[in-house]
Amino acid sequence: MKNFIANTKVRGLALAAIAVFLIVAPLVSSPFMNYQLSLVAVYAVAILGLNIVMGYAGQVSLGQSAFLGLGAYVAAYGILNDWPIVLVFVLSCLIPALVGMLVALFAVRLRGIALAMVTISLPIIGVPLAKRFSEFTGGSQGTTVSWLDAPDWSGLASDQWRYYIVFAIAVVLFIFGRNLTKGRIGRAFGIVRTNEAVAMSMGISSYRYKVLAFTVASMFGGAAGFLYIGIVQYTSPETMSFHNSINMVVAMVIGGSASIIGTVLGAAYFVFLPAISGQIDPTQTALISGVVLLVILFLLPHGLVSLPRRLIQLIARARQKLNRAENAGPEDAGPAQNETGPVSAHTTTDVSESHPESPSKNT
Amino acid sequence: MVWGPALGMKQLHASGAPKEGQMRLSQRGRSRTAVGAAELTLKNVNLTFGGITVLEEVSLHVEAGQIFGLVGPNGAGKTSLFNCISGHYVPSSGSILLGDVETLGLAGDRLSLMGLARTFQHPALQLRLTVLENVVLGAHSSLPGGPLAWALRLPFTVRAERAAREEARALLERFGLGSVADSPADELSPGLHKTIELCRALISHPRVLLLDEPAAGLSHAEVEAFIASIGQVRADFDLTIVIVEHHMGLISAVTDRVLVLNNGRTLMEGTASEAQSDPRVVEAYLGREEPTDESA
Repeated sequence: MKNFIANTKVRGLALAAIAVFLIVAPLVSSPFMNYQLSLVAVYAVAILGLNIVMGYAGQVSLGQSAFLGLGAYVAAYGILNDWPIVLVFVLSCLIPALVGMLVALFAVRLRGIALAMVTISLPIIGVPLAKRFSEFTGGSQGTTVSWLDAPDWSGLASDQWRYYIVFAIAVVLFIFGRNLTKGRIGRAFGIVRTNEAVAMSMGISSYRYKVLAFTVASMFGGAAGFLYIGIVQYTSPETMSFHNSINMVVAMVIGGSASIIGTVLGAAYFVFLPAISGQIDPTQTALISGVVLLVILFLLPHGLVSLPRRLIQLIARARQKLNRAENAGPEDAGPAQNETGPVSAHTTTDVSESHPESPSKNT
Repeated sequence: MVWGPALGMKQLHASGAPKEGQMRLSQRGRSRTAVGAAELTLKNVNLTFGGITVLEEVSLHVEAGQIFGLVGPNGAGKTSLFNCISGHYVPSSGSILLGDVETLGLAGDRLSLMGLARTFQHPALQLRLTVLENVVLGAHSSLPGGPLAWALRLPFTVRAERAAREEARALLERFGLGSVADSPADELSPGLHKTIELCRALISHPRVLLLDEPAAGLSHAEVEAFIASIGQVRADFDLTIVIVEHHMGLISAVTDRVLVLNNGRTLMEGTASEAQSDPRVVEAYLGREEPTDESA
């Protein structure tokens, strides 16, 4: 079963199936559904950034929404002033990246709660700043842009067109993110997270890699802000607000820390859970969300991405129990319901499944 | 900020499986020019934490290619001295020369590039990653390219990564761990974790290898195997080795010379057998004989 999942052919097929689904989905679903799916892509990019700094490099960041908001403002401003769209995109990435780097140059000398406090201050400062500079941001009312309509030759509705644009950009960014979290840089992030003394011996400057992680995270946040403007066509200081940051952290943990697939699952959770719980009972949205959050965290502490592994583990355990009951023989009577001792030597479970905790590296 | 070595250098030796005795850095063409075992010289190293003097005027000289032991009773300052050499502690004064390069004052993460590698007393592996991934981490300094190159997966990074992985696999095979290279590190015994750490240190092609209590936590048989193999490792990889160790059997079996520390000072320097017969060393370990014993 584990081999089945690890099999590259199976992976390839799964990827192809997902790709087909993503391409066909907007053609057959409602504009609202397309809007929601596009939002998943937008937040997936933002949460990917968060995951790089928090999940991979292990540095607490509670300020991701500030970079999302900053990217969105830069994008809106550029579009309203008719700057070339490529320039707008580049600036939406670079300006937040620069801000993130400047903050990180000082902040990463701190760790744990102190670092969390510094990053928490970004959205807290960002919201009133956005209100203050109303000639750039539109103040409390926010900024509305109207762009990214489907060109006539495409034969698509605007929601479909936007969906494809946003998904294409998100997929490219995800490929970059995935590459970055593997190989030389990814390994460096990992050892900076787990052991800075070892990192130093390997020739890795923890300081530099923390700054790098923050910079990349803010860049992804800014890129997500650009995509946000593409889909939502509106931004306000609310986009930056602190609870947005916290919700992204929650989504990252729910999806799976230090996992690319987990990032996508987290983004889906982020977008769809409020919508679904709103449909169940509009007056109890927060309560339902909270319950779902707790249930997932209790059952899958490593996030939604660990669901297959968790299932394999449960199946292996059930099989072991079954085997034990069979081998106990008839004179022992009764199923082995109270047997709590170590696994007896004659259990015949496959070795690969008797280490259900053995983690495979998530991608 | 320098993220990695300059681009466009020659790649890791592409053959992958290095032959024994030829595992040199020469083909790596990094900013590192010097290769092969290096001398290590410490002059008047002092280390203080707050008002407490941990090391006082410690000097030592390790010839290139020697296996050198740091010994002494608990709290003598062995590990502190070791951490000064590896850059984890910064001495308050003195001089530490690796070959003829002064390393004192360099950032700790630069020492890997200078040809220094170390293991840790408690193997600090990433247990969730595979054995191979853990070893490849050691190649960080010798892999080319910065974050942008790796994010774009430029061809030279792909080639370098493949070469590093092949080299890591060859190293693991050299130490009998080839079959578990793709297993998660936490499925292996603590004894094997030490071997993985050794591979992780060796893949950086060090000139000086620091081993922090290599026998701690090993079984008797594993210690014997370590003693039997360390000389060959030194020869194959062309290393100078410095060992901190409590296990006196190991120290006398493998070291060319030792430095005995007591209370942060040099007690004596010489061969292991000289150290063991030196009355000052015996006294430091066992305490002074009581006058009453003499009279009895």
